[in-house]
Amino acid sequence: MTDRQFIGKPTNRVDALEKVMGTARYTADYYLPGMLISRCLRSKVPHARIISIDTSEARQIPGVHAVITCDDFIDHGRFGFPIVDMYMLAYQRVRYVGDPIAAVAAENEESLQAALKAIKVELEPLPGLFDPRQALSPDAPLVGEKPRDAEGYPHGNLLIDYIVRQNDPDAVWKECDLVLDKEYTTMHQEHAYIETEASLAVPWPKSSGVTVYACCQSPFLAKNNIIQTVGLGSEDVRVIQPYVGGAFGGKDDTMYQTIAQTAKLALISGRPVKMVFSREESMISSYKRDAMIMHYKIGAKKDGTLMACQFHGIVDSGAYAAITPFTAWRSTIHAMGPYRYQACSVDTDVVYTNNGFAGAFRGFGNTEVCFASELAVDEIAYRLNMDPIDLRLKNCLRPGDTTSHGQKLGDDVALAECLQQVRKLSDWDRKRKEFEQGDPARIHPGELRKGIGVAAVFHGMSLGAEGKDSAVGTLRINDDNTLTLTSGLTDYGSGSRTVFTLIAAETLGINPSRIHMLRPDTDTAIDSGPTVASRATVLGGNATQVTAMRLDAILLNAAADLFHCQIVDILRDGENYIGPNEEPASFDKVVDHARQMGLTLSTEGRWNAPENHWSFESGTGKPYFAYHFGAQVAEVLVDTGTGKVEVTGYWGVHNTGTVIFPQGILGQLYGGITQGLGYALMERVDFDKGFIQATNFDEYIIPTAMDVPEIVGAFVEKPFSDGPYGAKNIAEPSLVPAAPAIINAIFHATGRRIQNLPANLERVLIGKDLRKEGSNTACKLGLHQV
Amino acid sequence: MERFGYVRAATISEALTFLNQPGYKNRPLAGSTDLVLLLRRNPDLCDRVVDISLIPEMHTIEKTGNDVIIGASASFSEIISNPIIRETGPILVEACKTVGATQIRNMGTIGGNVANAAACADSLPALVCLDAMARVLTPSEEFNWTVSELVISPNKTRIPAGGLLVSLRYTIPPSGTRGVFLKLGRRNAMAISRLTVAALGRLDENGRIADARFVTGSAAPQICRFKDVETSLLGQVPTPALMLAAGKLATEEMIRLSGYRWSSEYKVPALAAMTSRALSRVFQVREPSGEVV
Repeated sequence: MTDRQFIGKPTNRVDALEKVMGTARYTADYYLPGMLISRCLRSKVPHARIISIDTSEARQIPGVHAVITCDDFIDHGRFGFPIVDMYMLAYQRVRYVGDPIAAVAAENEESLQAALKAIKVELEPLPGLFDPRQALSPDAPLVGEKPRDAEGYPHGNLLIDYIVRQNDPDAVWKECDLVLDKEYTTMHQEHAYIETEASLAVPWPKSSGVTVYACCQSPFLAKNNIIQTVGLGSEDVRVIQPYVGGAFGGKDDTMYQTIAQTAKLALISGRPVKMVFSREESMISSYKRDAMIMHYKIGAKKDGTLMACQFHGIVDSGAYAAITPFTAWRSTIHAMGPYRYQACSVDTDVVYTNNGFAGAFRGFGNTEVCFASELAVDEIAYRLNMDPIDLRLKNCLRPGDTTSHGQKLGDDVALAECLQQVRKLSDWDRKRKEFEQGDPARIHPGELRKGIGVAAVFHGMSLGAEGKDSAVGTLRINDDNTLTLTSGLTDYGSGSRTVFTLIAAETLGINPSRIHMLRPDTDTAIDSGPTVASRATVLGGNATQVTAMRLDAILLNAAADLFHCQIVDILRDGENYIGPNEEPASFDKVVDHARQMGLTLSTEGRWNAPENHWSFESGTGKPYFAYHFGAQVAEVLVDTGTGKVEVTGYWGVHNTGTVIFPQGILGQLYGGITQGLGYALMERVDFDKGFIQATNFDEYIIPTAMDVPEIVGAFVEKPFSDGPYGAKNIAEPSLVPAAPAIINAIFHATGRRIQNLPANLERVLIGKDLRKEGSNTACKLGLHQV
Repeated sequence: MERFGYVRAATISEALTFLNQPGYKNRPLAGSTDLVLLLRRNPDLCDRVVDISLIPEMHTIEKTGNDVIIGASASFSEIISNPIIRETGPILVEACKTVGATQIRNMGTIGGNVANAAACADSLPALVCLDAMARVLTPSEEFNWTVSELVISPNKTRIPAGGLLVSLRYTIPPSGTRGVFLKLGRRNAMAISRLTVAALGRLDENGRIADARFVTGSAAPQICRFKDVETSLLGQVPTPALMLAAGKLATEEMIRLSGYRWSSEYKVPALAAMTSRALSRVFQVREPSGEVV
């Protein structure tokens, strides 16, 4: 192993001090002279036709500077990617409770509220569609935009459908000794980022352009949306990303709406306009992780060989497509889990409903299918009387295997190692035996029972065949010999600024403290696609390495000139350059010499991900250029008297390749598992006739520090040839297997298979969910709370 | 949140004066942990808050003869760390420990918990189990009710308009009394209780149950002692079977008080298990589940 100075060594986050001291400024922290505040009037019904919107009275209210509707945008503010079906403000219809109808900018809260009340909206209620299973029935209310008889669309509520095909499972069932046939469901999940949506738009003199400060997944997408819907030139828009207080995939479409609304309001009023969501507004109006209904049929031989997998999934995308077509595609690609099958068929239907709307969320479609498939595989192991880890080891993808998609895997695959390591770390074999004392069929009510469960994951790296995949980094040596590093990718709190800084420092052989990494700004960074899909470390890291290597080449050139030698004769000792006569020249000296030589000390490096290809027609191809693998084990203590589940131990081993930033990768692991624990046991977004029931964290509960056990993490650092210094990603795959590992542990403790999330008190104790009849109160109240 | 006025009272009598000043819709403010949320949901709740948090006599916790008096503005944290209560009413300490999280326990007060009277208030079952009395003052009158009498139904008490809950008082249970408080929530902190049970009891010199007090929270519209459960225990020698039977009686009493609700299918088995667990710990018998106490 090469001796590295910074990579893999413990270090502080580059932004640790600002965050701990409270000096890091987030969008909502900015106050400018003359700044107006703004808010949207949002739909309080799940589905209605807009007959008219009258804003004339609202405009007359003193202190009100601008009131806008969809008519203030080009093409009514129509936007969306990959499917264009949203508006910056509702056009013709409102499709979910929280859909923005109009936006107001005013000097103060009183004027703002008065104006929102004074907007007259005439709505004609339309029947709502709330059951995704009914979405494709002939008499279902039409939520989508395509008429039912549109060419190529079997149903107007079918957003899109995807397949994977590998041989014919129907030909294999007869060879199987066991065929499991089960349905699983998952619920919507709220991102619960600590910073709610916020945007501040500052108009340029004479409203010739606009600068927007906002938290979002991609400032470049935000900029493009402004250009297209507000009608400005590319040179007239700048989007700056201040510190972001978490995103988890949640700051895409809702934020692009908010950004475009504030940009328009600022251009009309000629004043800075800020919009900050209350927690209630955020929870009501922002998109969620989609809910899924999953039907699995999996066949196996007596010896535990998995033979065939058949999957049908229905994805509830809610009122708009948002990014759900991509999440559903990822669900489709990952539905069979990280195992070899002789035959596999996957069918996923994505449907419209009036249940809010769904979009990106850490795990991105894999979270749902991993939950279900890992439960199914676990059940097969128990039914065959096999150790669940043994069954997974027997079937898991290994280097050189071919996936169900027909993709031949490389030698970076290390799932077997992850499973073996997590088995050892968690003391799996001993605990499994110990916890099985006593007959689970005769559990005494009130008994506290321990259980241990496992789940494995594979997670396609970066965007895959979703689209073109590249990132750009830039480096510049400043006059004081510090360096400025940029990336088009955002650090929401995940630590990527530290990762990029370490990669640049390592590559250049300089101290990381010399490097200042900027946050993305469409004027200083170069579009690198959105910060999603756990792609920052690999894409942004590679781009950083490329740009740093270019700068390093320039400096070596200068050093060679300084020493009158060839580049190959130069050695490095810390920051110093050592020439053939062993005389050291400091970094500063080499940089000064480079300047004297007239060299430009600024570089740009692009990294393009390896090619992928996917045939949507045949359901085969190479969907991702590589995969992350991992295995997690959960230990639980179940109170069989009350159904209370305590997660008492947790172990995660991931095939991350080289670890670049040790504390960062553990932070990602801990955070992902915590979010997965919430998904498994307590988080629930209930829509009742389209009305979300929990609108703040009193009722939408997420795990506290008291609910999370000590998590032990380990990494299989098998270098990944396409990663920067051999690194892979971690952000999403840390979350994905947590819920099934916990639910499988509950089974081990109680003998009860829970197939619907969350595994709350009721499901664990009595095997079914109970719910108070829902109401529209929380939503109606929430939309007025400030 | 709407604008509202603020006055700070230095004494109880000043607080009563403020609370009864005409022309205002007053609301006492102690820890503000409930009031801020209520105001956010309903800005018309009041137009002035009367801050009672800095009235010294409302913070005192003292022993008078065989009684302990707790000022209504004592915070949960003050109660948790108070040596008198730790010694004489540990069940109340256990209950207060389960409230919210550290910050809320530092701000929230026992009086606020009682006066707000949420069905899920964590201190209520422990106070009722201790047979605590509440002292309520108006400018002209003084009332002394048991906490169980004071709370009529969720969020409804007998405290008259302009009245102020100033203190809570309980008689120290005889030596040999053991208490157990159990809380069930959907998570381990910052959790609204789904069910709580408070049990207190004592054996006589023959090993028979001489005192048994049992209360559940979040189970019935009015917080009260479950007499059927208690009667079934008195005079008996504690056994696992007796505790199991008491658990069943508790669920029957809950259904009688609250009717069969959407949650009953779950709460019936859960309350049965919690009841027999708590009582087993009070009377130190083997838990029905086989757990050794």
